[in-house]
Amino acid sequence: MNVKYLFPTRFKMWGWIILIPSAILGFADLFAEWQPAFFDWTVPALYNNEILGETTYFGMVDNNVLNEIFGILIIVGGVLVAFSRLKNEDEFITKIRLESLVWATYVNYIVLLLAFIFVYDMGFLWVMIFNMFTILLFFIIRFNWQLQKLKLNARHEE
Amino acid sequence: MKNNIKVERAKKNITQAALAKSAKVSRQTINAMELGKYVPSTVLALRLASIFDVEVGDLFQLEESDWE
Repeated sequence: MNVKYLFPTRFKMWGWIILIPSAILGFADLFAEWQPAFFDWTVPALYNNEILGETTYFGMVDNNVLNEIFGILIIVGGVLVAFSRLKNEDEFITKIRLESLVWATYVNYIVLLLAFIFVYDMGFLWVMIFNMFTILLFFIIRFNWQLQKLKLNARHEE
Repeated sequence: MKNNIKVERAKKNITQAALAKSAKVSRQTINAMELGKYVPSTVLALRLASIFDVEVGDLFQLEESDWE
């Protein structure tokens, strides 16, 4: 059975190559708040609402784009890792893929629900930042863990 | 749903890996079907029956619980 919307197998490796360094550097950047002047760009914005400043629609804004770059790379890398066809992708693995996606969505929103109730102010902002990426992270972990379990089971059998 | 994949495989003396290769699925899939953990699509059921040279009904049987 062929699933639509999956990337070719070889994209998975590129996904890891993009994801791992950009995730490590991206989160280091988040905590260290690096803002090298090289990344101070004037960029087009559909909407920009500055804290204690003006609101711009369809204008140009000054911004340090380093965190945007990391965010984009994490999403692109994560999507490629999560949704590249496996070498042995068949109907059973597709079923596990879909189940893992449902599971990841539930877990993601359970975590967000708990954060709604128990985390406030700047803390909640941090939760939202992480929540942008956790659905992919939860899916990748769960899907690969299930596949690993199956591989072990199959090895015991023969 | 019950199946005789393991029995048919033993009759033909082929491994899970070899069956997986001719049915164009992963070995995990063959294993999961033999353990009753996965019910295959109609296409895969027909493919397996064709490989073993039996009817689908000889390879797969309904159980009571399939009517619930």
